Amino acid sequence: MGRTDGARVLILAIESSTPRSSVALAERDVVVASASLGVPQRHGEFLGPALQFCLEQAGASVGDVTGVAVGVGPGLFTGLRVGIATAQTFAAARSLPVVGLSGLDVLAFRSRHVGRLVCTALDARRRELFWAFYRQAPGGMQQVAEPQVGDAGELAAEIAAQGGDCLVVGDGGLRYGDELAAAGADLAGPADAWPDAADLAQLAVPRFLREETHEPQSLQPIYLRRADARIGWQERGRMHGGAG
Amino acid sequence: MPEDRPARITLRSGGPDDTRALAAALASLLRPGDVVSLSGELGAGKTCFVQGAAQALGVTERVTSPTFMLVKSYAGDLPVVHGDVYRLDRVRDVEDLGDELLAADVVTFLEWGDAVRSFLPPDRLEVELLLDDPEDIDADRVLHLEVHGTWAARAADLATALAPWVGPTAHAC
Repeated sequence: MGRTDGARVLILAIESSTPRSSVALAERDVVVASASLGVPQRHGEFLGPALQFCLEQAGASVGDVTGVAVGVGPGLFTGLRVGIATAQTFAAARSLPVVGLSGLDVLAFRSRHVGRLVCTALDARRRELFWAFYRQAPGGMQQVAEPQVGDAGELAAEIAAQGGDCLVVGDGGLRYGDELAAAGADLAGPADAWPDAADLAQLAVPRFLREETHEPQSLQPIYLRRADARIGWQERGRMHGGAG
Repeated sequence: MPEDRPARITLRSGGPDDTRALAAALASLLRPGDVVSLSGELGAGKTCFVQGAAQALGVTERVTSPTFMLVKSYAGDLPVVHGDVYRLDRVRDVEDLGDELLAADVVTFLEWGDAVRSFLPPDRLEVELLLDDPEDIDADRVLHLEVHGTWAARAADLATALAPWVGPTAHAC
């Protein structure tokens, strides 16, 4: 256990914005339980039991939790919303504060001891990636530019523009490794491929202590893709009223 | 990235069983992560096509039209996800169909996928099914297959696997 001064701080963290979901409980800055899912895309069936498992392992009950941290993307849309909805429900039911953090930030936190430019890059499907750049700063990592979505060629060009001296972390880096390495980047291994709830909890704890928290209903997923468009069914001649 | 005019293969099917058979032949070329977009009028054979392909991929459950369910997942030697965007109004609504759609470890069949092209990956197979005679529901079906992105590398294999169905294009548009 961490420090014993002050009130109990037990943070529940939920990260389900990528194919690898995870849940963790942290008592101040010490992760006391965590569970992660190897099988992708079953967020809905995983979060509830994982939450129960973490509470049991930590010898805690629902009533002991003092705050909820959740990954707000960018990432897989349904997983993201399941995670946010779970965090909102849990927090709202007990009037707990919440902290929403980007998966790219959580992934960068893992590389906070790397003394160089870090690029976190997550597979966005459709041959695209979500990415952001970070530098070491006192107490953690500082994002140096707005997160972006684009293809590997665009990211490679950005890395080259940075002089190529950059560590790329995340499953996007693994998937498009050849193109990024050609731009001069080094690639982190598969162990750091996805944001993890244990890191999310550790990154969020200081915000709870500083009371930089939000109301549950104010949580919003990060959506980097371009604006939505209406499907032009009329122009395509969809047969209205037909069964499809 | 602008795309060159995609290569096109035109097939002829004599009926539902023939459509299932040619889809099964095509399934031998499918790999995890593949995306097949299907378009064609009511009754043109989109669901028959998916039934034939899914069975060849080891799916034993009966494949039914996803129009009302919007999306359905099937276990198989290769998992199959079958979606339909017909009831959607906005391109982004496709994300409501769930994260299994377009996942890297499944084959995705998306009915009316051409309506949401901007949401689809650049690497995909597009299949358009047409009635050879629009007045006759029992007419032969003409299928246009278009390879996009990295699918272009499989065009020759597709033509080989589907050779028995490669048909005259006189009636096609």
